[in-house]
Amino acid sequence: MDIDVTRLKGIVGERNVRDNAADLYVYGSDASVHQSSASVVVRPETVEEVQGVLRYANAALVPVTARGAGSGACGHSVPIEGGIVMDFRRMNRITDIRPRDVLCKVEPGVVCDDLNKALQPYGLWFPSAPESGRIATIGGTIANSGSGVRAVKYGTIRDYVLGMKVVLANGDLATLGADTPAQSSGYQLDRLMVGSEGTLAIIVEATLFLRHLPRFRAMGVAKFNTLEDAGETISDITASEVTPSLLELIDDVAITALNKTLNMNLPQVEAIVVYECDGRLKEVVDSEMEVIKDVCEQHHAFGIEMSSDAKEMERIYSGRKKLFAALSRYREGFACTSLADDMAVPSSRIAECARKIHEIGDKNHVVMTAYGHCGEGVLHTKILMDATRKEQWEDARRAVDQVYDYVRSVGGTTSGEHGIGISKAPSWKMEKADSLQMMRAIKTALDPNSILNPGKMMNAPDDWVAATRLRYPVKP
Amino acid sequence: MKKAPSGTSKKGSVPALAGGAAAVSRDIEFSRLSKWVDELNICIRCGYCAEHCPLYRLSGWEIDTPRGRLLLSYGLITGEIEPTPYVAEKLFECFYCQNCSKSCSAKVSPTEILTDARADLLEAGFDVQGTTVRNDGRLCRACGRCIDLCKAEALSLDAQNMKVLVDSVKCKACGVCVAECPVGAMSQREGFGVSRQELSAAVTNALRSMNGQPKVLVFCCNWSMTPGLQLSRMEPPGTQDDSGIVVTVCVGRIDPGLILNAFCEGAWGVMIACCPLDECEQDGNYRAKERCVSVACLLGLLGVESRRLKLEHFGTGEAQKLKNTMKTFAAEMESLGPV
Repeated sequence: MDIDVTRLKGIVGERNVRDNAADLYVYGSDASVHQSSASVVVRPETVEEVQGVLRYANAALVPVTARGAGSGACGHSVPIEGGIVMDFRRMNRITDIRPRDVLCKVEPGVVCDDLNKALQPYGLWFPSAPESGRIATIGGTIANSGSGVRAVKYGTIRDYVLGMKVVLANGDLATLGADTPAQSSGYQLDRLMVGSEGTLAIIVEATLFLRHLPRFRAMGVAKFNTLEDAGETISDITASEVTPSLLELIDDVAITALNKTLNMNLPQVEAIVVYECDGRLKEVVDSEMEVIKDVCEQHHAFGIEMSSDAKEMERIYSGRKKLFAALSRYREGFACTSLADDMAVPSSRIAECARKIHEIGDKNHVVMTAYGHCGEGVLHTKILMDATRKEQWEDARRAVDQVYDYVRSVGGTTSGEHGIGISKAPSWKMEKADSLQMMRAIKTALDPNSILNPGKMMNAPDDWVAATRLRYPVKP
Repeated sequence: MKKAPSGTSKKGSVPALAGGAAAVSRDIEFSRLSKWVDELNICIRCGYCAEHCPLYRLSGWEIDTPRGRLLLSYGLITGEIEPTPYVAEKLFECFYCQNCSKSCSAKVSPTEILTDARADLLEAGFDVQGTTVRNDGRLCRACGRCIDLCKAEALSLDAQNMKVLVDSVKCKACGVCVAECPVGAMSQREGFGVSRQELSAAVTNALRSMNGQPKVLVFCCNWSMTPGLQLSRMEPPGTQDDSGIVVTVCVGRIDPGLILNAFCEGAWGVMIACCPLDECEQDGNYRAKERCVSVACLLGLLGVESRRLKLEHFGTGEAQKLKNTMKTFAAEMESLGPV
């Protein structure tokens, strides 16, 4: 691919362009199983620079892949067709915090947890930071339609985007939405961008609605001897009149991994449920915690611990926070691959889905775990396997297909919060079969030359295993 | 449309290198590094290590994250990237603060992997500096003071040539020897914010950017947690509450000249925030304490109150304690007024 690197240097400055093999190799990877090198990396700092790069790329028919922290789990920011990777590290300014309007304006490279740190002195909070919020950027979270552990009460990022500025494929700047929570002004194009994974336009500014920090929080943890009891507990809590601010499931595979990797000394039970309530009045929070405790006990929970002490809550929750990486050490020779990693199912199906995931893993000679933000229906599964053996990738492929066959059969969806990218595209295309045409029409209207993150979502290869080089050294 | 990165090669082949190319082995086996391939598979590439890395905070390029360096190591083992001087240079860039290793929930240790990569690259003939120290034989008096202070045992005496030798696999780039060398023979490359000139410039910039009074400068080592936003910026500038903090790799890197320079540039007070006494791998906190005593004496002779220089200890995660101490110190300086 011929790319005019000199021209790009003229747009973003020489120091913000790299095209040597080592940098391109590094930018060809994220937290997914995929790897594919870019042709050049640029780091714009202003909207005008983004526009300049896109005007050039559109005319030269060069792909452009936007990248936040590169923490995506399904290959969204892997430049599958090479071209330009646009790293938003330098567009990381929190440009406005307006407490009286309960909103803020940020550039796409702002890190989610940094935003919350900056909001804290105002008593405000952006509740939709994902678990990876310490590095994940606002731009990436919007593009993936991310959410995080508190979505059960506070919703996902799509509920917080009031508006945004985007640069279209041809370099034009468009302002979408407004600074008001209520909007009834035609097509809600800002919402269209949420979850579009950089395939429709490049987000250069976001206006986010905020919440007031809750004054009180309390957290509880309950142990269960069967996964079914834990799952039914979650379903019943979700259906109750109380809405917890966090409701997480941790299964026995995850418990083993946490004990092994981090010496957490958790009881080796079939499942643990962690829950949290928050609010303005302590009495209300306490009474909600009691309601949830009662539901847990109805389903034979034991060893219930509850605390409202910040340090103790951090201890209770620390295992869950470190789980993704800790799973890597579940078994010697196994790697934790990010596959079929975040399906969502209706709340009443949590127990059934968790059990099904284990069965599918066993049947296909891989280990699958079931944990996640089950309060909002999201189950995170990782496939633990010997990623260097070719046949294990066939096992994984079958397992992924079977999991998604089940998810679709119960009215669930392929991704709850991590997006589609490359590895989830085949199953997702089956789920969205009758709306793919509409999506392709929208894509063509906004990006006629298909330069924006090509080869993803509806345009991703049908064989995700062969779509790119795998990041593991697979023996032939 | 797919395009492989230019210059990918088969494992270990080194087609053309600039500079000391002749000394570089053309067939590198990476025998030490290859042992880590399973560990590199265990890394899930989540990238959480990035926020803790001082080099990434400085450059903002993915290649400077611990994840980036692990990817380079992986690429060298599999032959997906060439062992070029640039790659070697990147693998010699690390301050060994271990923040990445400590924060990794998969318990992968980038620094251990890096050390083996360095040994392989050195053996293959790469002569790169990265963040490691260099000794200028023309200036070195071979007094040996740096050798005694180096906790990494990276320095030794070349008795024949009467100069200090640096083992760049062992060197952890703390800079204690740079600050201690009486003749300026030890140095670190510019570009990482740790050279004498860069630290002086950082002091000047921090003091000049302070809008409010009193002007208090805090040297904070990278091992102790630094407060404030990690990777984002607040607008307008100066609204972030960590202004006045100059982050060094280890407080052992702060030489007396740097402290005096801060007062010359208008600081009302200088605080050195270092690790608890027995928690510094480099004993940099002891070095800082020694230097504080001598600078305080000097300040006294110059008629400046010695309490304008303060040394305090902070463990990892004690950001709030640091914030509170800074506040108290600032109040004290306010009562004293400018120097």
